[in-house]
Amino acid sequence: MSSLKDILMPFTAWKNVFKEPVSIKDPLNERPGAPRYRGFHKNDVKSCIGCGTCESICENEAIDMVAIAGFDAKNGDSGLRPKVDYGRCCWCALCVDVCTTGSLTLSNEYKWVDTDSDNFRYIPGIDNKPWDNNELGWKKPGNGYEFYQLERVKMEELHPEERDKSFIEIIQGYSKEQAEKEADRCVECGICTATCPAHMGIPQYIKAIRNNNLEEGLRILYDTNPLPEICGRICTHKCETVCSIGHRGEAISIRWLKRYIADQNPSEKYKTILETDFIQKNGKKIAIIGSGPAGLSAAHYLAKMGYEVEIFEKLAQAGGMMRYGIPEYRLPYDSIDKDINYILSLGVKIHYNVNVGKDITLEQLGKDFDAVFAGTGLHLGRSTRIEGSDHKNVYQSIELLRKITQGEEIHVAEKIVVIGGGNVAMDITRSLARLQNQKYGKVQMITTSLETEEKMPADREEVVEAREEGAIINPGWAPQKVEIQDGIIKGLHVVQCMSLFDATGNFNPQCNMENARFFEGDMVVESIGQGMDLSYIAEPLKDDIEMGPRGRIKVNSDFQTSVPWLFMGGDTIQGPDVIHGIANGHRAAMGIDKYLTEQ
Amino acid sequence: MKKFIKDLSFRFNITEIEYQRKNLAFVSVDKESVMQMLSYLRDTEGFSHFVLMTAVDWIEDGIFQLTYILNNPTKKIDLAIRIKILRENAEMYSAHHLWNQVATYQRELKEMFGINFPGSPRVNESFLLEGWDNIPPMRRDFDTKKYSEETYFPRPGRGTNDPAQHMKIKLYPNE
Repeated sequence: MSSLKDILMPFTAWKNVFKEPVSIKDPLNERPGAPRYRGFHKNDVKSCIGCGTCESICENEAIDMVAIAGFDAKNGDSGLRPKVDYGRCCWCALCVDVCTTGSLTLSNEYKWVDTDSDNFRYIPGIDNKPWDNNELGWKKPGNGYEFYQLERVKMEELHPEERDKSFIEIIQGYSKEQAEKEADRCVECGICTATCPAHMGIPQYIKAIRNNNLEEGLRILYDTNPLPEICGRICTHKCETVCSIGHRGEAISIRWLKRYIADQNPSEKYKTILETDFIQKNGKKIAIIGSGPAGLSAAHYLAKMGYEVEIFEKLAQAGGMMRYGIPEYRLPYDSIDKDINYILSLGVKIHYNVNVGKDITLEQLGKDFDAVFAGTGLHLGRSTRIEGSDHKNVYQSIELLRKITQGEEIHVAEKIVVIGGGNVAMDITRSLARLQNQKYGKVQMITTSLETEEKMPADREEVVEAREEGAIINPGWAPQKVEIQDGIIKGLHVVQCMSLFDATGNFNPQCNMENARFFEGDMVVESIGQGMDLSYIAEPLKDDIEMGPRGRIKVNSDFQTSVPWLFMGGDTIQGPDVIHGIANGHRAAMGIDKYLTEQ
Repeated sequence: MKKFIKDLSFRFNITEIEYQRKNLAFVSVDKESVMQMLSYLRDTEGFSHFVLMTAVDWIEDGIFQLTYILNNPTKKIDLAIRIKILRENAEMYSAHHLWNQVATYQRELKEMFGINFPGSPRVNESFLLEGWDNIPPMRRDFDTKKYSEETYFPRPGRGTNDPAQHMKIKLYPNE
């Protein structure tokens, strides 16, 4: 069915012969890939943290995480780096799009000729390649295209005006929907586990939330931490500081997710879920001194192993600093009781109001029990010892916090100055602010610390919330003298603090005496740290105890002292914080078991 | 474009409209209207060029989404038509009588997704996957990783580390 048109048609192409060609003129010159071309990998190995999400997402298993000389594992960095196998890579760039730090990119280079196929496996950023400095190529698009939410699910809190007069809990906790949404942000890299002093299975319990299997979540928590209600509220959450998502967004709310699991499991089901309805006893007895986090943690794991555990507690209730130091608005007593009651349900006995050293000697405990664990903590307030600090209206924060818990009436002045920049200083500031509000209807608190705003050891949210509640936080000042006129405190003299440590790293504050200030107040509270009271370790036992650096008792990796039956842990050894206490107690429990089994 | 789609919606039951660009819009219709709509667009509205057709597996909803893209070379506009068909025993009317090349697309869809187009020329012949003995590989329930593990040999010398485990070995082996 050919026509004249069909025959002549090809000649119409001749009309283009003098036109500028659309295709590339010269085949011999460079033809760079498009600006967003997905070519060979590049990795900024300095900002890469070896989280391995590139490996996990790769559908083709083209990426291996390999150890590299000069990149050691450390806090927040596994030391591993991705190695790509181009026998498998399909250049889909999912590894780039999921990268938590943004270190992994693709160059626009697409040509690589080699005779040895093994060369096509290489470590981007380590094995030098010609395209290492190519600016062009595929990068994570910055248009909100993300595989995970960079922002946290917001936690509901009481507004400052709802909370500044009362001690009710501020943080409301996540709902099921919120918790699952927050858990969904986790990439399960596990970088956090090494940083947690108790090395909790963080990605695993977050996964349990995602799968709505909260019983499994609780079992994972109790593997390493028998105080999840407490830690879920007040843990120092070191884990969140290294969260891989935190590199480009906000870290996962690990602490609140832990709390969610503990809150959602009813206490009456704990023993069934944790399979501790029946524990085979082994007939051995352990004494524990102090019912703080370290003592309770040791008690829990020992009781689970079948030991008869008795705790000797100086005060009327269990919990140590968690009950008597941390204010109720951060950690309600119900939550403390939930964790402790479960531990008691394992058969642990607590002897309250027994002061070891006075009511019973440590030596006697050593004779009556197979082993002793002491987690006695730091309960002695330290004084600045500045002029006037011996006045009766200069208080120690730790004593005031204890009295508030015990329900005792304490002196609350109209204007109060607090010295200290740690979490305890914030606790006393915010507790006194509430009491001032109740008594006077207004807050007149000034809290000052040697450290500047950036270097204050207190958690950031504590400082922010204290300010929201009306307290003035004015850091960077060194206290000089408590001004007293006619026996009444008038305020605190301070000078500007320039630096805290000298060149050798020793504590040696340097001040600018020219820049002085006076903080008015009729009551001063010192909150500059606590010391330990080891007077219960008396002669002749004391002579056998070997001391370590910084006035602490020497223990081995099982937290065993030089007296074989005596183990120690918690704030007297490491920390101070709750999670170190828990970790110490757990390891000491295993150490005690090892010691008694080997005996 | 908007006016054209408005006119079109008087003739066909368009359930969704999405304006992607000034010269590209996506419309959703039901399975029964497609053939009629394709002929109308080709013969009356000047969409003489068939650009492509493709599928998406919405496994959670139990459906396949088919998309036909047509081009109007005079007006220089593209129109994409989306329909949903059941995933189970997936079958669709063939459009090869409108454009010859549709048969090739349909043959590919049969192979990659398992969607049948009865009457389409050579639809049951292999397109790329000669000797394929598994479920169609573009179906979402096809496990690519498992398939490659079973099919291909591992490359010697490869080995990997789990970041959390590696950190435990390096930082706290005894805890």
